Amino acid sequence: MSVASRQDTGFVRAALGHPAFLAGLALTALFVLAALISFLWTPFDPEKMQIAAKLQSPSAEHWFGTDHFGRDVFSMLMVGARVSIAVAFVAVGIGIGFGVPLGLYAAANRHGLIDEIVMRGNDLIFAFPSLLLAILITAVFGPGAVNAIIAIGIFNIPVFARLSRGAALSLWTREFILAARVAGKGSTRISVEHILPNLMNLLIVQGTIQFSLAVLAEAGLAYVGLGAQPPTPSWGRMLAEAQTFISLAPHMALFPGLAIVLTVLGLNLLGDGLRDLHDPRLRRSRA
Amino acid sequence: MILYFLRRLTALLLTMFAASIVVFLVTEIIPGDPASFMMGINADPQAVAALRTELGLDQPVATRYLAWLLGMLQGDFGQSYTYKVPVSELVGDRIMVSLPLTLYALALSTLIAFPAGVISAARRNTTADFAVIGATQLGVAIPNFWFAMLLVLAFAVNLHWFSAGGFPGWDAGFLEGMKALTLPAVALALPQASILARVMRSSLLDTLDEDFVRTARAKGLTRSQTLWRHALRNALIPVLTIVGLQFSFLLAGGIIIENVFYLPGLGRLVFQAITQRDLIVVRSVIILLVFAVVAVTFLVDMAYAAADPRLRRRPR
Amino acid sequence: MTVLSVRDLALTIGDTPILHDIDLEVKAGEILGIVGESGSGKSLTALSIMQLLPRASRWTGGIEVAGNDVGKMSEKALCSMRGRDVAMIFQEPMTALNPVHTIGHQIAETILIHGECSRRQAGERAAALMNRVGLDPERISPNRYPHELSGGQRQRVAIAMAIALRPKLLIADEPTTALDVTTQAQILDLLRSLVRQDRMGLVFITHDLAVISNLADRIAVMREGRVVEAGATDEVFREMRHPYTRALFSASAHVPDRSPVIKRQGEPVLAVRDVVREYPRPRRSLFQAANPFRAVDGVSLDIRYGENVGLVGESGCGKSTLARAILALDRLQQGEILINGQTFSEAGSGPDMKQRAGVQVVFQDPYASFNPRHPVRRLIAEPLYLIENAPEGAEREARIVRALEEVGLEASDADKYIHEFSGGQRQRIAIARALIIEPSLIVLDEAVSALDVSIRAQILDLLAGLSERLGISYLFISHDLSVVRSITDRVLVMREGRIVEEGPTEEVFLAPRHAYTKMLIAATPTLRERSA
Repeated sequence: MSVASRQDTGFVRAALGHPAFLAGLALTALFVLAALISFLWTPFDPEKMQIAAKLQSPSAEHWFGTDHFGRDVFSMLMVGARVSIAVAFVAVGIGIGFGVPLGLYAAANRHGLIDEIVMRGNDLIFAFPSLLLAILITAVFGPGAVNAIIAIGIFNIPVFARLSRGAALSLWTREFILAARVAGKGSTRISVEHILPNLMNLLIVQGTIQFSLAVLAEAGLAYVGLGAQPPTPSWGRMLAEAQTFISLAPHMALFPGLAIVLTVLGLNLLGDGLRDLHDPRLRRSRA
Repeated sequence: MILYFLRRLTALLLTMFAASIVVFLVTEIIPGDPASFMMGINADPQAVAALRTELGLDQPVATRYLAWLLGMLQGDFGQSYTYKVPVSELVGDRIMVSLPLTLYALALSTLIAFPAGVISAARRNTTADFAVIGATQLGVAIPNFWFAMLLVLAFAVNLHWFSAGGFPGWDAGFLEGMKALTLPAVALALPQASILARVMRSSLLDTLDEDFVRTARAKGLTRSQTLWRHALRNALIPVLTIVGLQFSFLLAGGIIIENVFYLPGLGRLVFQAITQRDLIVVRSVIILLVFAVVAVTFLVDMAYAAADPRLRRRPR
Repeated sequence: MTVLSVRDLALTIGDTPILHDIDLEVKAGEILGIVGESGSGKSLTALSIMQLLPRASRWTGGIEVAGNDVGKMSEKALCSMRGRDVAMIFQEPMTALNPVHTIGHQIAETILIHGECSRRQAGERAAALMNRVGLDPERISPNRYPHELSGGQRQRVAIAMAIALRPKLLIADEPTTALDVTTQAQILDLLRSLVRQDRMGLVFITHDLAVISNLADRIAVMREGRVVEAGATDEVFREMRHPYTRALFSASAHVPDRSPVIKRQGEPVLAVRDVVREYPRPRRSLFQAANPFRAVDGVSLDIRYGENVGLVGESGCGKSTLARAILALDRLQQGEILINGQTFSEAGSGPDMKQRAGVQVVFQDPYASFNPRHPVRRLIAEPLYLIENAPEGAEREARIVRALEEVGLEASDADKYIHEFSGGQRQRIAIARALIIEPSLIVLDEAVSALDVSIRAQILDLLAGLSERLGISYLFISHDLSVVRSITDRVLVMREGRIVEEGPTEEVFLAPRHAYTKMLIAATPTLRERSA
């Protein structure tokens, strides 16, 4: 126990000495917090139109101004964070939930039928440029947040399947896995007991990065009208609407864009930071 | 080498084949009856029946799939339901915008990323390195369509250097065409260039840590000679994969960017078709883009073999 | 003429002092051996001379190469010194050459970079150099890539690159450590003759006292960043003034005390019968599947209760594949393997899990052998999984403690994690893990090869004691003949998948019958006998 806690304090100390990681953590926390608070409180009703107050620049009353229907941009951003984060979270969850077991199974039964199917399936999904798959799905099933989640989620499955398969394959050749086999353990047990815990760092780092890509993808889909449908506010659609008024009310385009950039930036910094902190080589050099 | 080539070629054909099945399933089977899907709920039953015959929906699935596949091999993608012209014509016009845009952006991305990545790695932990790291960190976080809007705001609305959108057509002259594609290409390229520069930097740094780099230094090569003669070519091998992937990203990203700039490319075509439920156009554009991506992946595999002698001898 | 003179060299990296007061001198045509265990600073001494130190390092003192003070040289001057006046060969022939350039190009590059001659002449000189290092350009084309050559051939290419401009000083950092003994002997002969012909000074860095005793004119013994003893080789070996030198010497020649009790009658602990292991080979032609590669080709052997059997052979001979087969990690293509007379694994069917508890293993790499996320308690208890009605609670704890104490560790070590232990301690934990279910046989696959000599001697003593006390048999697999000789009763010599010679260890070593065994023994460096 003492050792585990010693490891933990080492991690905390290293984290405190890593400004990029801290910045990423702060930015991510900021947006998650905004999304959570929006359930309880927003400065204005984000769906309420007040044509009289349309296209106002930022002011003390409307911090980020109003849009072409007089809706409060700040409030819309808070609720939009909810959509972005929820879509990205579930989509990455789908990717991990299906991809990791597939990858582990494929690695444990290398050259088996499932391995072959997983790898060819990967190739197939990667052949569809990311958005194209989403477009195809929404073209048939209709636009909406759920279909966006499915479309982004499907694209995440091969990412995690390939990642965990590759890492697991190299772990399978390690001597401690051979020792577990000599101790009579079967491949499922070894996968759960030895392989998965040693993939955790990698999965957390990649999960963070995929999360940020999913936020970008969701914004893109919403921008072309294939994401969450009105009146639910979403960052991507806010940008699409802002485009018409770009010279008249540039603040309408500025703030949702910044929200996306800062969320993605925060997640990327967080992911990079986690990787640095988990890399024993870097940690030793910091100590 | 020939074995490797044939192996990759087989994989290429298989992937294309599988992709065509997926696209066919999604657009022909999942909607149930594509004819009533395309005409909407309130359509006249007789008109739906007519469309069903026109589409050949009374025939078995396998026959329809084969007919579609064989048609495509001969360049016949069917007839657009809304425009009433052959899809190949529609696509042929639009691809003359989308493909140049993608290649333009790919060229920009590569031209920006390579020097940035090399400088950053060669001058590790200097101001130049930190500048590249910071810029790329920001670059990967920016949605390209938002960046496009900012470019329009700055260079079209305020400075009037470029027009805010539209495409004069190649008939207006090559330079005019390229000028119209410049802002879209920059918007597409910068986020991808950030990714590429980061990969280039880390790949080069990894390579500079290798034993053979130390051997080269022990022979008397200077730091920069080692970088150019020994590290760079080895570092490029993983970068090639990313360049291949970028083609796919740029092609897909182009679909969105074309909407920002009102460019008459495949992206606009496909979104109009989605609104009009023109499944035939949707599936044709998608299958074409997939084929393009798979073909580029194949080219990257070949470039891999050319760059890495270890692959030439021993096929995996 | 002095080609290298190092005076009061001190080195720090970051805030960590690495080297202290190093003094070395090498004359033309002289071989200086630097010997020391890992972490003694011998490689960083070499890199100081080359001025290829890591970025955060600072050094003081004087280094003169061929009469020039390197401390006063610009980076440009240093570049023209490297490769021309002083050259270096590294340990890993697999990674020391650039994989995307041909070997001819890489040899010629040394000549071209120093502007000696035209590109075409450089090509011709590269071919001549290949000849000189024993690579016939007629047979091994300069247009080949490094991955197409064997380890020994690559090391010859590295030597050709180093001697291209006839440097006055050559530094070789463990150049033969990664090679087989027969290849090692050839490379050592080559270096020796090149030094004599060109009257180069050679600094030869190694951990292996036996290699250096047969090669060097003078030696320097390093420990913890200091030269603890230096002098003419004969003198150092005769006098051994410093206790560390004596310790190193006795550890290198260490033979554990053993009085084995071997039961010759009854079922053997391990019986291997006509075992064949094949690997599929990659296809070379489109129309014809390649014949599988036969890594183990009809091997039979017995190990008796309490007996230590050695299996020696060079890399690629199939000894590790045979070990995996005996552990039933891979399926057999032919033959069968019996543990205590019961079938454990046979061609056509998977291993019989009931027999698994009879055989355990210790691997080479003390770092890769443990899951870094589990505490030692869980690591060594893992094989208990094999026992039906495995002990629980206090009884389980007692077994864990007993296993730890058997290998010289303490009960409190059970709560620690593996990264808190040194390489030697980790190997003890690996042995504890193998012991915990009291197997009849432990396979030791290069189990002491990664350890420094002093640690190795301790582990050998431990193994010898355990075998006698607990009546465990060993299959001791190693490329290192002297280790096998010190701890085994019987030895098997393996080559190209077959056992070519077998017999009581001392008989085989004193009177080898097979030509291959004779060659192996002749190539193995031994500490020179010196009268005290």
